[in-house]
Amino acid sequence: PAATVLKYPLSNMAGKAGRQSRPRKADKDEEEKPLQAVLVADSFNRRFFPITKDQPRALLPLANVSMIDYTLEFLTSTGVQETFVFCCWMASKIKEHLQKSKWCRPTSPNVVHVITSDLYRSLGDVLRDVDAKALVRSDFLLVYGDVVSNIDVSQALQEHKQRRSMDKNVSVMTMIFKESPPGHKTRCEDDDIIVAMDGKSKRILHYQRAQALKKLHFPMVRCLEVGSDEFEIRFDLLDCHISICSPQVAELFTDNFDYQTKNDFVRGLLVNEEILGNQIHMHVTRDGYGARVSNLLMYDTVSSDTIRRWIYPITPEANFADQEGQSCTHSRHNVYREPGVSLGHGSQMEENVLIGRNTVIGANCTISNTVIGANCVIGDNVTLDRAYIWNRVHIADNVKVKQSVICDNVEVKHGVVLSEQCVLAYNVVVGPDITLPEGTVLSMHHPDEEDDEDEDEFLSDDNDVGYSKDKTKQKVFNPAEVGSEGKGYRWKSSSLDDTEEDELAECIWGLALSADPESDSESEVSEGSHDLGSHPASPELDDVKVFQNEVHGTLQRGLDENISCDNLVLEINSLKYAYNISLKEVMQILMRVVLEFPFQQQGAQISTAQYSSHLLPLLKKWAPVFKNYVKRPQDQLDCLASMEEVFLECETHWAVLMSMYQLEILEEEGIMHWFNQGSTTDKSQQLRRNQGLLKFIKWLQEAEESSEGDE
Amino acid sequence: MPGADKETDLSERIESFLSELKRCGSGAGSLRGSAETARETTALLRRITAQARWGNAGELMEIIRKEGRRMTAAQPSETTVGNMIRRVLKIIREEYARSRGSSEETDQQESLHKLLTSGGSSEDNFRQHFTHLKANVIEAINELLTELEGTTDNISMQALEHIHSNEVIMTIGRSRTVEAFLKDAARKRKFHVIVAECAPFCQGHEMATSLCKEDIETTVIPDAAIFAVMSRVNKVIIGTQTVLANGGLRAVNGTHTLALAAKHHSTPLIVCAPMFKLSPQVPDTPYNHTKLKSVDTILYIHILSKVNAHCPVFDYVPPELITLFISNIGGNAPSYIYRLMSELYHPEDHEL
Repeated sequence: PAATVLKYPLSNMAGKAGRQSRPRKADKDEEEKPLQAVLVADSFNRRFFPITKDQPRALLPLANVSMIDYTLEFLTSTGVQETFVFCCWMASKIKEHLQKSKWCRPTSPNVVHVITSDLYRSLGDVLRDVDAKALVRSDFLLVYGDVVSNIDVSQALQEHKQRRSMDKNVSVMTMIFKESPPGHKTRCEDDDIIVAMDGKSKRILHYQRAQALKKLHFPMVRCLEVGSDEFEIRFDLLDCHISICSPQVAELFTDNFDYQTKNDFVRGLLVNEEILGNQIHMHVTRDGYGARVSNLLMYDTVSSDTIRRWIYPITPEANFADQEGQSCTHSRHNVYREPGVSLGHGSQMEENVLIGRNTVIGANCTISNTVIGANCVIGDNVTLDRAYIWNRVHIADNVKVKQSVICDNVEVKHGVVLSEQCVLAYNVVVGPDITLPEGTVLSMHHPDEEDDEDEDEFLSDDNDVGYSKDKTKQKVFNPAEVGSEGKGYRWKSSSLDDTEEDELAECIWGLALSADPESDSESEVSEGSHDLGSHPASPELDDVKVFQNEVHGTLQRGLDENISCDNLVLEINSLKYAYNISLKEVMQILMRVVLEFPFQQQGAQISTAQYSSHLLPLLKKWAPVFKNYVKRPQDQLDCLASMEEVFLECETHWAVLMSMYQLEILEEEGIMHWFNQGSTTDKSQQLRRNQGLLKFIKWLQEAEESSEGDE
Repeated sequence: MPGADKETDLSERIESFLSELKRCGSGAGSLRGSAETARETTALLRRITAQARWGNAGELMEIIRKEGRRMTAAQPSETTVGNMIRRVLKIIREEYARSRGSSEETDQQESLHKLLTSGGSSEDNFRQHFTHLKANVIEAINELLTELEGTTDNISMQALEHIHSNEVIMTIGRSRTVEAFLKDAARKRKFHVIVAECAPFCQGHEMATSLCKEDIETTVIPDAAIFAVMSRVNKVIIGTQTVLANGGLRAVNGTHTLALAAKHHSTPLIVCAPMFKLSPQVPDTPYNHTKLKSVDTILYIHILSKVNAHCPVFDYVPPELITLFISNIGGNAPSYIYRLMSELYHPEDHEL
């Protein structure tokens, strides 16, 4: 009978399956290589502390599904066939979760490998390990374990491949951005960025975080150097934290062991573009949803967006994680119910509610914009608004919760009121009859523990921890903080300094208080005070100044110790990278420093003759240095422009120009071009009418004519 | 062990089909038209019949039912999958009956008396083993596949009977069947087509472009103008996602408006629907028929968290508003749908 089967023509289905299985046989062809992804299941920060003390961030439930499942679903739907999950903090928990999930079933289209190490301290470490183990063979997707997205990256992938095949290995990375104007809910103010890109090639020219930046110093130079006709400076983009990387990215991380984060990498690459010749491109999408759950405010936003179906087809009722018993029904006003939910008499689920399996809700409750996990028990007359309640939580009667996160196994006794932005971490008990003020964070872990257990893995067995704590720090539960029967420590009033206190609260809920409509007034106040407090201090400007001083020092030393010009160039180059100065600026600063050298030595009031006699030997000495930097016609113009700036004040020193010409630092085309250029200010016009200069120009012209005559 | 190998291969195929079904809602999946879904489902069922381990018809039906439940659960809005599973189950029943030598007519038409006397389910009778059953079933499924290939052609062949010269035809959104139907008529006759754009996805635009290429005079109107334009229209021809058991439709959003406007102006409404879209589902609450997509398309910017946005995809159109169904086996009135249903599916298979 088997032979008869083979007779039938292969259908569509068979054809497709054949196509899918072919790449696994590892063809040599570039196109046929399976798409790989690197998923970093660790945030390398403590944003979610104290919640992440018990559970890694990637496993925190978002609409009752672990965040990492969203990321894996996104990767799988984009056609990724092999994913490497890197975990550090609580790696064993992530591993266990993944082994139980659908991703590790033999039929999974996406093969998931879990790689764990306690030594990862940053994204850089992970990528260096990717390189060391030679895991990736071709382009791969790089995402964090807390990215929720439904963006179709196939177009970006294609563009990336095209760029790579056109310009061999120049473009190393394509970053995916979602168009979302300021004020968009998914914009996280920590992550606000300003990006400059070439309008045509979509190449990133400048990338800067806008966080708390009042003034943007924008290196026009770099954009002009590239020579593109049009470039865009955009603030309406959201970094989705999805990037398409070529294997070189991992190599670059290995080469530059100081790169810790993607930000380091992008900035480092852009600064060193001239040397390394690598470029970063971007892909801007309007459709789709992409956000990273980087703080609790984002957690709030992304959860509610999931329930409001912004991330379709990843919706609660789709049960994409394929977990047993998690199929829920969707009904009007976005109310989702998993099996076994019981709702008491008179209780209302107003809108945007997700209730996990076997949860029991008492009578006369009002629930809106809320996610409740599995096996919770909620009493009578409870009001929940924007509450995120995880699994096995007990809430007694007459409790009010507003925009708060309540983790697993928490017990909230009767009469408790949770104000906005409260966090009750694992196993906390609160109440009865207590009102927690806004922004309270309670945890079973004492804030002081943090420092001691900083480095160790802390695979906690809850009972064990509770026991040891009871021994060492007995009766530290403050009834004023957690209620008479409460258990837990308040994290805000910790041993940290006053300033850091606020930071902690900000950290867990993010800086973006203003994005939250309910706390508008408060945030306005805080923003106002911010304005008064911090003065715009552009670090770039300082860098330039410091650089100028350093160059001066270097030259002075070169003069005193008679250092060769090659070594001077080397020193100036290293300074350039240390202070992140563009080539053009280096040239201008060098020119200025040299021209001002005699003033510095002899005082400002020296005659023209004295000045020239001082400067000429110096120029002769450093001519090779100049020649090293001044190469193209554009460089000469830049040089002359800075010269002009210096001589605007004292116009008598034009002999210098002559000697520069004679030393072949400047060429006559450059000088003529500069001279003929329309001058903008009166002063510079006046300067151009200077007798000495005119004579020189005339001499140049004549020389040119005579040389032409010779030919 | 080649047997085990085959089995994993089969389950791998089923899994990939399931995940594709789940994803096709987003438009990212490769399954596009429902015709293609129908063909792929049938092909997969043929493969299951050929490769799965079963000894008799009852076991095979059990396997197909089990997989069928998973497939329909993967994408509940795609009724074609369920319909094809029911067709195949019916084929197995027929082949079994034929192998046993009894006439299929008597087996299907169970009288009230017979139902009362026989008592238990007829499943018990499927336990007999026939050597040729597998080959016969596969042969019959192949026939079904051939039928599926020809549905669009069969429908568009009837176009000239319905579209006359200089008529004004209105349609909504994009239906491949309607597109073929109109293009077929355009080869002989000149007529004018008005396409409602079907916001927010605006499939109507694609439809209009496609019709223009065949030199059909085409006008695109916004959905809001349907009623105003209806007075000029001679005939409304639409496609549908599903034909329900009562003769109603589950069709693209906006169809109900269109149907009501047509009724108001007494314009005939013709539905082009291949037989595989006929589903034994009955309409219950209107909400259960909508599939809510991402609201991204209608609300570009999150205005405030207080604003709720919904983006339903399907409308329920009651049978009273429909004049005629054109399927691959001819034209039928909505009131006749129940009869077709009983011919296509076995009553016991309505619930998988």
